[in-house]
Amino acid sequence: MSDVVEARPGPGPAGTGPGGDDGPRRSMLRQLFLRPETGSLVGAVVIFVLFFVVAGPFRRVESFATITYEASVLGIMAVAVALLMIGGEFDLSAGVAVTTSAITAAELSYQLTLNVWVGVIAALAVSLAIGWFNGYLVVRTGLPSFLVTLGTFLMLQGVNLAVTRQITGTVSTQRISDMDGFGSLEAIFASEWDIGGVRFRTVILWWLLFVAVATWVLLRTRVGNWIFAVGGNEASARAVGVPVAKVKIGLYMAVGFAAWFVGMHLLFSLQTVQAGEGVGNEFQYIIAAVIGGCLLTGGYGSAIGAAIGAFIFGMTRQGIVYAGWNPDWYMTFLGAMLILATLTNLYVKKLAARR
Amino acid sequence: MTRRHRPDRATTRPRLRSSPRRDASPPRLRSVPRRDASPPRLRAALAVVLAVTAAACSSSGGREAEEERERAAEAGNAGPPQYTVAFVTHEAPGDTFWTIVRAGAEEAAARHNIELVYSNDPEGLRQANLVQNAVDSQVDGIAVTMNKPDAMTPAVQQAVEAGIPVVGVNSGMDAWQNAGAIMFFGQDETIAGQAAGERLSEEGVSSVLCVLHEQGSVSLEARCDGAASTFTGTIEKLYVDGTNMPSVRSTIQAKLAEDPGIERVLTLGAPFAVTAVQSVADAGSAAQVVTFDTNAELVAAIEAGDVLWAVDQQPYLQGYLAVSGLWLQITNGNDIGGGEAVLTGPSFITSENIDAIAEYAQRGTR
Amino acid sequence: MVTSVGTTLIEMENVGKDYGAIRALSDVSLTVRAGEITCVLGDNGAGKSTLIKIMSGLHQHTSGVMRVDGEETEFGSPREALDRGIATVYQDLAVVSLMEVWRNFFLGSEVRRGMGPVKMLDADGMRRTAREELAKMGIELADIDQPIGELSGGQRQCVAIARAVYFGARVLILDEPTAALGVKQSGVVLKYTARARDAGLGVVFITHNPHHAFLVGDHFIVLKRGRMNLDCRRSEINLDQLTQEMAGGDELDTLAHELRR
Repeated sequence: MSDVVEARPGPGPAGTGPGGDDGPRRSMLRQLFLRPETGSLVGAVVIFVLFFVVAGPFRRVESFATITYEASVLGIMAVAVALLMIGGEFDLSAGVAVTTSAITAAELSYQLTLNVWVGVIAALAVSLAIGWFNGYLVVRTGLPSFLVTLGTFLMLQGVNLAVTRQITGTVSTQRISDMDGFGSLEAIFASEWDIGGVRFRTVILWWLLFVAVATWVLLRTRVGNWIFAVGGNEASARAVGVPVAKVKIGLYMAVGFAAWFVGMHLLFSLQTVQAGEGVGNEFQYIIAAVIGGCLLTGGYGSAIGAAIGAFIFGMTRQGIVYAGWNPDWYMTFLGAMLILATLTNLYVKKLAARR
Repeated sequence: MTRRHRPDRATTRPRLRSSPRRDASPPRLRSVPRRDASPPRLRAALAVVLAVTAAACSSSGGREAEEERERAAEAGNAGPPQYTVAFVTHEAPGDTFWTIVRAGAEEAAARHNIELVYSNDPEGLRQANLVQNAVDSQVDGIAVTMNKPDAMTPAVQQAVEAGIPVVGVNSGMDAWQNAGAIMFFGQDETIAGQAAGERLSEEGVSSVLCVLHEQGSVSLEARCDGAASTFTGTIEKLYVDGTNMPSVRSTIQAKLAEDPGIERVLTLGAPFAVTAVQSVADAGSAAQVVTFDTNAELVAAIEAGDVLWAVDQQPYLQGYLAVSGLWLQITNGNDIGGGEAVLTGPSFITSENIDAIAEYAQRGTR
Repeated sequence: MVTSVGTTLIEMENVGKDYGAIRALSDVSLTVRAGEITCVLGDNGAGKSTLIKIMSGLHQHTSGVMRVDGEETEFGSPREALDRGIATVYQDLAVVSLMEVWRNFFLGSEVRRGMGPVKMLDADGMRRTAREELAKMGIELADIDQPIGELSGGQRQCVAIARAVYFGARVLILDEPTAALGVKQSGVVLKYTARARDAGLGVVFITHNPHHAFLVGDHFIVLKRGRMNLDCRRSEINLDQLTQEMAGGDELDTLAHELRR
């Protein structure tokens, strides 16, 4: 170990050129290996090639659009969850929080006959408040976030059903597609466009935007530095003056924001929301983040990795059907993917450390 | 040795029944028994093995009954698949009901040389994506359950625009025409519920417990509400966690212990009826169990008198008719039902007609 | 900020700390002067960490007076202590091991450029500065981008010391910097500790190793069960005496007697 870093005559500090030159840097290969998303990228390519070979319909552009769409709805949440996991915490309530947000917007607009915009903005407030609540509880109690958000998860699951049934007498929300503001909101959250006969959805662009923003925040801003530090060594981060509580609460609120966004997409593309949906999705977000290279213990991971993880989900889900395989195998396939990705991550990290 | 007394299976049928056959070898080859080619000594040995095996056989059920069904399904089937049909449901993986629907669909597919691609997801958006998947794959027909009509309608319309015939199955009675589907095979859950309510009234009971095994399912609510609308007594709803059978058992038991006046337990799925029978016994209650939907265990329970009756929507028929209907549409431009839904239920399975059905239930088609 | 050698930076007078009913520290008085190394020695549980937590702002004292630059002070957070030029390098939580060296170097005091809400990290500038500052301390790294966890324990401590010096620390509190290190690595850390002193910092060196303390210390304080057991200048003591004091004097004699055959 020590021979890697032992003192050796480096370039004189004054001798380095402006900007770019940072003195001795690791080799390109090593840099690549050290990226958290490398393992998932390899996995994604392997799966892509596999389905490309075995499944005829998989090769069509239309199929690519369907897969990307599937990945984007999962991926927006996965990116936020990845940030949270890098910050060292979990959010098990993320799945049902999506449904909560959609129900809030739909029922508030419908019951009070408001412009749908009002409901949507209120839903944003509710989603952020749920995130704040999770974060505040985790920070203040010091309890494992697994437990705290498990509690919120169960509460929201109950609230979703109870409130919806109480208000509507059934378990899905009323249709709001004929109300004021629906059209403009649909254009934002759930529009589609045609490119050469192939339908692409706006939500894909939103997803890519969120991934880009998250990556920029993580790698190029002070907050990103703090997220890594808080997840990597909370006590140390606190000792050098990082506002640990604010960072964590902020991360939970970011998950809240993503839940709101996905909730709005569901609402405006499906028009009604089923109160019981969303349960179980929280694990898919975590799995996508882990496949993408996030450590369960925090302090390491990437937003791009989580996006690749979501894409692997989409490819697997749809690819099995394109290939005409029995979909009962989906979960098995996914589990194998998860283990493979984790092992690859472990392997590349060891490899990188050895060099 | 043990493998060789069934050479036809081992050699020419490498795939599971459920997989569509894509190998080009003509199926008729199978009728040429391989064992004729084996030397006489081996044949004698085989005869011994066969005799021993036969003596040890169970006369009913088991894997053989299943194979019999497979052979039945393959009869009259020739050549490689000509069409591909996608069957997209809202099944939450592992429900016996859908196994029967699938069995029907697969049998019809086998008979008409159709390659069947089954897929399922309980969440609306993802089920809609699976329909989109079928459109991308340029299948020749789509059968789809429209349990969440608002989520499924745009996807179905997309398929119709792409020129793919779509039929509705099982649920979505109110939505299939509007979405552009050409046929519908299923049961109106409200009508089925009403039928159950009428029957309960005829039996002269006054207090019924309706057990819902899923929070937030529109079709389950429709069954309970339908029964309540025609029933002369009172129906009380009890929500249980259908993914956790021990919890279902104890929840029903606790309810029965608390309210000894309950005369009937109405479950909304076959596995829950079987569990409810145990709960009744646990609680020492006098209530009797009645249910919606069937499977092999439930038919046995009716035979044994543990369950009084079941409302049957004939899931096998739904799967079979959907695929056959698509085949007729594709090959001959037919449609079934004259623009109206084709009802596959409700019919009742009771101790009177159980004998006729038991055999089929045994092989997984009722 | 320039402080001349010998200026009093921190002064504690009869400082005590209670955790509920438990008295962790009582009547501790010490002075930290610029250009001096004050060694605080003591066994586990003697109250060393409580003392540094009070100085670094993680905890507040419950009795006595602490003066910083002659002004009575009580820190509400580590940030406040840092802002007054008091930096602490902890034995076990000095750095975030998965993060790059330069990110660790600037953690909590990141340099940003750009304007308004879209401020971003000046990554290249920070890389350069980190390497230059480490070089000044005599630390040459092959790669400023490597995770700091790949460095040896001694080097991690050195980076943390260099960092504190760079960010204008006037008082450097070192919490058992040599505890987990081998002889050679300890030597390196002691060398940088001396360098920090030569740079005019007031150093508080916490340790339970009298040999290490005696190599660099100007002033020695021995804590025992939360109280001061010894307070003297280097000229007033030798290594043997210090070892005796530290190990508990008579107790060590008894132990030596028992172990002798």
